[in-house]
Amino acid sequence: MTATTARVGDPGTPTVLARAAGAEWLRLRTVRTSWWCLLAATVTVVGIGVVMAFDAENVTATGELPPAPAAGEFGIMLGQFALLVLVLLAVTQEYASGAITPTLQWTPRRGVLLAARLGVPVAAATAAGVLLALVADIAAWFIADLPFSPGEVAGSLGRIAAVLAAGGVLAVGVGLLLRSTAGALATVFLLQLVLPFLLPAFGVEWMADLGELLPGTGAIWTLLGEPDMTALQAGALLVGWAAAALAAGGWSLLRRDAG
Amino acid sequence: MIEVRGLTKTYGAVRAVDDLTFDVRPGAVTGFLGPNGAGKSTTMRMVLGLDRPTSGSALVGGRPFPRLGEPLRAAGALLDAQAVHPGRSGRDHLRVAARTQGLPLRRVDEVIEQVGLGPAARRRVKGYSLGMRQRLGIAGALLGDPAVLLFDEPMNGLDLDGVRWVRRLVRDLAGEGRTVLLSSHLMSEMEQTADHLVIIGRGRLIADAPIAEVMRGGHARRRVRVRTPATDDLAGALLRRRLGVHPTDDGDLLVEGATAETVGDVALEVGAAVHGLAEEHSSLEQVYLDLTGDSVQYRVGDAPELVQR
Ligand SMILES: Nc1ncnc2c1ncn2[C@@H]1O[C@H](COP(=O)(O)OP(=O)(O)OP(=O)(O)O)[C@@H](O)[C@H]1O
Ligand SMILES: [Mg+2]
Repeated sequence: MTATTARVGDPGTPTVLARAAGAEWLRLRTVRTSWWCLLAATVTVVGIGVVMAFDAENVTATGELPPAPAAGEFGIMLGQFALLVLVLLAVTQEYASGAITPTLQWTPRRGVLLAARLGVPVAAATAAGVLLALVADIAAWFIADLPFSPGEVAGSLGRIAAVLAAGGVLAVGVGLLLRSTAGALATVFLLQLVLPFLLPAFGVEWMADLGELLPGTGAIWTLLGEPDMTALQAGALLVGWAAAALAAGGWSLLRRDAG
Repeated sequence: MIEVRGLTKTYGAVRAVDDLTFDVRPGAVTGFLGPNGAGKSTTMRMVLGLDRPTSGSALVGGRPFPRLGEPLRAAGALLDAQAVHPGRSGRDHLRVAARTQGLPLRRVDEVIEQVGLGPAARRRVKGYSLGMRQRLGIAGALLGDPAVLLFDEPMNGLDLDGVRWVRRLVRDLAGEGRTVLLSSHLMSEMEQTADHLVIIGRGRLIADAPIAEVMRGGHARRRVRVRTPATDDLAGALLRRRLGVHPTDDGDLLVEGATAETVGDVALEVGAAVHGLAEEHSSLEQVYLDLTGDSVQYRVGDAPELVQR
């Protein structure tokens, strides 16, 4: 080993970002939690999809058979949480263990780290979810003979991708902001699942109204078509919350001390 | 080369680092000394862009570290050996690092070999001893073959063999012409490792000088131990002559930079009975304690003459 004397020119931003993204992908693959989350997502999405397919006559009020994509949509409604946990842990585990210190030594350009940390885990979780939903749809088609039209399935998978991408960005943003696994997990669960279902259940008008402002309500509408709202409203909820969480989390990573 | 200029960090009302300016030069081990809470870790974190300075700046190899695209080729650092994801293997930890810098996998195995992590590298970090974690952290610092190295208390928690190994490693790294900054709160550790000392206390620079000079400073500043029942009278008289006076735990006074004659004469003038009088030469350890100690009650501005380049 000899001491480096002359500095060759630094690589450009695209190269640095590509390397950071590659490292992020390696990070995801080299911890067991990721694989446990993926297993949980598989069991939930495909499991629920198959169960729903067996019970298909009772899914709609009219007794009419639902189309096959309903299997994936029901599955993702619950299974998304395993995938959101995967994304969230990719962020918060580093603060819990202190590993954010070496991470920022290797990628000190924080905008680059933000892009990689947002892009890679969210894309991975979204791709995994879409794939699992497709498996559930096909299983429902084979097992229960639910109507399967490629066009409908493609549309359904697109909506699932939108829900998972928005939820993933929300999870990354909240994780970067709160830096604590427990706090971020509780926040994402409340916003995405618990409150959207709980608030309308009280039968109090203002609570129901409040519930309709949460990101989870937009996700539920996108997946299941309930409650009554327009695609524009649901889309605004998904995009608005994701953008707000990203702004807050981005500020936290870019402006605050490492951790 | 590390250049620190007016670096300051405040946490609320606490000035953890207070207007620090110093250079760390290549080809030498620079000891970064200060008692617990002096601001050593905070300074190193600011140099690496982990914490934002309240004011001031730091350059690594002439550039701000946080802007570098391949930072590990410029500077490697071990700040906290525990700060590793426990669920990843040591080798995977280094693979991630190598990926961020575009370094080949071969380099990962080289540094694993170099630090003697061996087969343990394939086990999860969760099961590592502190010594193994230190070695992993040092492997990470060496990965990019950097010109600058920062180690924050790398000998903490190591056994004697480990300490010797780190000492030889940093000496070798400096011998290869690299810049090495090594923090510690123990002067004794530095006597055998460092060429140059940067000493801080409560966030401020106390001394920045070659170790030999600090040591000579200690010997030149002869001091006298005097025992007297009239402690306050004698201390007051000595202070009026601008001599540094420290009370000891057993009731004696230590008088800095004075000879036995001077102290004896002053005692006679104020009529203080002298029950014991002896000249002492302070050790490096003692000089350091004097420079940084909180226990100093009576004090005449003595440290600044050590700040020289
Ligand atoms: N995140 C923080 N928030 C508030 N105060 C802090 C923070 N980090 C450090 N400090 C304070 O700043 C001062 C300097 O701390 P620092 O860890 O830099 O000291 P040090 O010289 O490394 O000490 P040690 O030898 O114990 O490692 C201390 O008073 C510490 O309490
Ligand atoms: Mg420290």
